[in-house]
Amino acid sequence: MTSSVMEDVVIVGGGPAGLSVLAALKNSPKTRHLKCTLVEASDLTNVRDFYDNPGENYTNRVVSVTPKSVEFMKSRIGNWDYMKEDRVKFYDRIVAYDSQDNDNARIDFDAGSTESGVLAAMIENINIQSSLLKKIEEINDTEGTTVLDKTKVEDIISPIQQSLEDHDLNEIDPNAGNADLDWPIVKLSNGDIIQTRLLIGADGYNSPVRKFARIESRGWQYNRFGVVGTLKMEYEDYRSVGWQRFLTTGPLAILPLTEDNATMVWSSTPKLSEILLKTNKEIFPHLVNAATVLDEADLNYIYKLLDYNPDDMAVIDEIKWRLEKFDQQNLEENYPLKVVEVLDGSRARFPLKLSHADTYIAPRIALIGDAAHTIHPLAGQGLNMGQSDVAALMTALESGIDRGMDIGSTLVLDSYVANSWPSNHMLLGICDKLHKVFATDYYPVVALRGLGLKSLNVLESFKDIMVKIISAR
Amino acid sequence: MMRIRSVGVSGRISTISYRSVRFHSSHNPKATSLSADEMAHFNALASSWWDVNGPQRILHKMNLLRMDFIHSTIRNHIKLNGPEVPVDEQIYIPPFNVDLLPKPIRNTIIKEQDDKRDSILNQVKWKVLDIGCGGGILSESLARLSFIDNVKGIDLSKDVLEAAKLHKLKDPLLNDNKLNYELMAIEDVPASEKYDIVTMFEMLEHVDHPSKVLVEALKRVERGGWVFISTINRDFISWFTTIFMGEHILKIVPVGTHTLEKYINQSEIRQWFDERKDSFKVVDAKGCIYLPAYGWKFTSSPDVGNYFMAIQRIK
Repeated sequence: MTSSVMEDVVIVGGGPAGLSVLAALKNSPKTRHLKCTLVEASDLTNVRDFYDNPGENYTNRVVSVTPKSVEFMKSRIGNWDYMKEDRVKFYDRIVAYDSQDNDNARIDFDAGSTESGVLAAMIENINIQSSLLKKIEEINDTEGTTVLDKTKVEDIISPIQQSLEDHDLNEIDPNAGNADLDWPIVKLSNGDIIQTRLLIGADGYNSPVRKFARIESRGWQYNRFGVVGTLKMEYEDYRSVGWQRFLTTGPLAILPLTEDNATMVWSSTPKLSEILLKTNKEIFPHLVNAATVLDEADLNYIYKLLDYNPDDMAVIDEIKWRLEKFDQQNLEENYPLKVVEVLDGSRARFPLKLSHADTYIAPRIALIGDAAHTIHPLAGQGLNMGQSDVAALMTALESGIDRGMDIGSTLVLDSYVANSWPSNHMLLGICDKLHKVFATDYYPVVALRGLGLKSLNVLESFKDIMVKIISAR
Repeated sequence: MMRIRSVGVSGRISTISYRSVRFHSSHNPKATSLSADEMAHFNALASSWWDVNGPQRILHKMNLLRMDFIHSTIRNHIKLNGPEVPVDEQIYIPPFNVDLLPKPIRNTIIKEQDDKRDSILNQVKWKVLDIGCGGGILSESLARLSFIDNVKGIDLSKDVLEAAKLHKLKDPLLNDNKLNYELMAIEDVPASEKYDIVTMFEMLEHVDHPSKVLVEALKRVERGGWVFISTINRDFISWFTTIFMGEHILKIVPVGTHTLEKYINQSEIRQWFDERKDSFKVVDAKGCIYLPAYGWKFTSSPDVGNYFMAIQRIK
């Protein structure tokens, strides 16, 4: 049996949040002396390989990154230098419109008034992860940095609680670490046992770290799935616009990537998501085009045909003649470009849910990213909330070091929660209400929101506020 | 042994059976001694000293501000360009407010100065004497700073020191070379031992003869070294915040912690140091106040309520 080792920080989870916090800790002169280990269950080989060989096609997990997050990556994490910038697409406008109102209720968010003229950037998850991993490797702190992939956390135990409830009182575990310390003990699948001053849970929605800390997480399933896919458009769209159409089944977002590429997040009912996944790949681009323009009654008919036979090529004609009824110039100017192809194997779905942990900290524990909160993707805030968690946590840890505190103490971690929880809660609430308002075809609500969208569209002050939220200024 | 076990783990185990005065001091001849009832009071608090959510929470929170005060005072008084630094290696210090400059230039200048401060601080290894260290809240924080070589904490309350010694074991960073506690009065520290930093936080208001304590403390300060003290102004505001609200209404400070007559005005300490201005200089003084649901905050006036003071030995 291996005996336990002591570390200052153990990070569980090698997603963008976990890698960000490790890179930020190692990039800050105040915290770089801390001994850190990151543990990730999956294989990070593809993430490592991406830096030298990014491949031709876009991957299907693409996130919207606000200018604030970009600035954080540039100045405090330092991973932006290792980002494949030719695969990063900045966009400056979002057009959101409603499927229930033929009177063309829409709201147009334009970043023109903001300092950078940029609303957000579309970046592949793997691009972000690989730049972070490269940054960590370039810092080359072999003594104080360990990244363990293909390694699972098998157990987390508290040296204080164990004799009371988890273990037989008469049996002393020789590998339980130093019982004088209240530091959590992390047992790994490779046999390592680490006792750590601070345990950071970046381990996602089902966070084992959160469960160990007995922090309650509240929320609900939306009974919706987000269907993602990588699309080819008929040509490169020089407008740099993100499109979002609110269907009663959930919003369909088409977001620009470089050249003629785009990525799609189609929030849909469980039934519809199955149809979207099984629809023949020749038909699928037409289906997306239909969903950006047609009435929901027409769409429901098309869904029904495809559910009955997902390879029914006659559906293409059903869609085409319906689209031809529209004013073609209006379609060209005020709607997304035509989709011509969906990349093989790029379609996938994930369940949509809202959750928020009651707090992000416990003694010697901090939660970041999806372990702390999950959000509806309609405003593209998921990754950015994780980045602002990392920023707030770093500020708390840096000032804790300046004050000579034990960085696992809640006296240090308190300010992390105080600076991140309320704003996250507000954002979760806003996105939740948006989802609910648009997920109905109940006429009074539809009329009100049509009126709302139109009046909001002329209210510049409201739009400025929304642009500030979307681009996190 | 039970008493020891409870310390720092949860602090919830009852301390009632240990309220007896174990360390009798009624005939203590030391000028710097605590009075007997003060001693009994602090001994009783020992077991819950390190429970950050316990009776001493407000002290733990105050420690954050103390450390900010110490850290920023030291950083801001580092000589960036000593006389021996050649001109072309000197750091640029604009002779005007840098906020007037465009943001990128301002940030570059500030960053350059900060980096220089870091590199100077990285080279020093200072020794600290923490007088009236209590359970070691401040001593531990000082000992963890990168530019501190070691900290010696002294106190007259045996039980509280035991709590300090036990809690020290809870962080492997704080080994014997870094942090030591001793049960002794300031005059028992050999006068030949000199320290770069001497601290007396929330301590002068608990002793019978504060000026004698100060005299003894100053003897042990290295040339160029720092003295940091904090205490409370003897005024209505202090009585209202620390005793009436703190101890009796909000009950965030253990009852009996404070005695108004022992409070010392900021002006009195300033005056005291004015008589020694050949060798000591009051560099800074800041008031501070506890706001419920926020924590401690600096105020603009050191003449009201609690205050911190930084004094430097000039020769």
